[in-house]
Amino acid sequence: MNTKHIIFWIFFLLILALIVWGLAVAMNKAPKVGPGIGTPSEATSTDHILGPANVPVTIIEYSDFQCPACALYYPIIERLTKEASTTVRFVYRHFPLFPLPHKNSIFAAQASEAASKQGKFWDMYKLLFENQTVWQDSNTASAIFEGYAESLNLDMTAYKKDFGSAEIKARIQRDRDEGDTLGVNSTPTFFVNGKVIVNPQGYEQFKALIDATASGGAK
Amino acid sequence: MNNLKHLLTRPLRAVPNSLVIFVLIIALIGFADSTYLVIEHYQGVIPPCSIIGGCELVLTSVYASIIGIPVSLLGAIYYFIILVGAFAYLDTKKTEILKWAMLFTVFGILASLWFVFLQVFIIKSYCVYCLGSVMTSTILFVTACVVFKKYKVNDQISMIQ
Repeated sequence: MNTKHIIFWIFFLLILALIVWGLAVAMNKAPKVGPGIGTPSEATSTDHILGPANVPVTIIEYSDFQCPACALYYPIIERLTKEASTTVRFVYRHFPLFPLPHKNSIFAAQASEAASKQGKFWDMYKLLFENQTVWQDSNTASAIFEGYAESLNLDMTAYKKDFGSAEIKARIQRDRDEGDTLGVNSTPTFFVNGKVIVNPQGYEQFKALIDATASGGAK
Repeated sequence: MNNLKHLLTRPLRAVPNSLVIFVLIIALIGFADSTYLVIEHYQGVIPPCSIIGGCELVLTSVYASIIGIPVSLLGAIYYFIILVGAFAYLDTKKTEILKWAMLFTVFGILASLWFVFLQVFIIKSYCVYCLGSVMTSTILFVTACVVFKKYKVNDQISMIQ
């Protein structure tokens, strides 16, 4: 093999190596959130809030009950709000990816809001995430959610009335519209003290971020 | 069967560099696309759910790996083989190498058909990166068909040779 051939092949392998290296570097550096994501509105009494008001860190999540990634973050958030209860509060906002790719997401959001009317939002939130694989592809998801409502001892007449009410649909749409305005295009999208973050990989990374924000004294 | 034997044994005429460079570019796009998913897999990234599709459903499904090997890695290896074949042809001008690289595109199109079937009928969600790979492997297969149709040595010349 002469020098020309060797240079030819080195050039070829260099191009491939450059592609792999470039992708790896870009994926490590580039934030997994789009540019120009805005600042969400402050949490108010109409929001679903877990944790005390006087804490240094507020996490706002734009989420979809049918999103597998949101379900993966659900236990992380649970642990955070328990183990860092003096530093963090959590706000859940709806961002159902309906009708595609998540056909039952809007009904799950309606079920959570109907439960919220009876003070059981977080109980329904837990049931929806913990049983996501049971109802995600179902054609009778609303009936499954009624089962969850019964298990929470909700007033079923009120639940059924609220489930399809214009008020609840408007409440969900309000969150979704704000998410759209902010530039949210995927779930979960987390904001820590009003700033969008790159989704942390696991509890430890999330906790470190919360601790750093808390010690930074922001808000 | 005879047709297959004919295809495997019949030599190709010289294929223009422009066509081979086209194959290289398409295979490079496919390689980059698959490599992106391979890196994401090994980084342990939890793919978020996006407005534009269900990548997370496809990439977290049981069909995303075969005996623990991510299918994206198999895809990257496939494109790598096509790239090596096309590049070796540019280097040596041996049509036999290009012929085998082009025949190899059959695996790409068969795998693509399987993944489209899975996404449409089983997972019922679509991943834009997977569809990108379906596109590149289809273009490669069609190009291979063009190469075999247009640049085969016809029977008379073959007999003389």
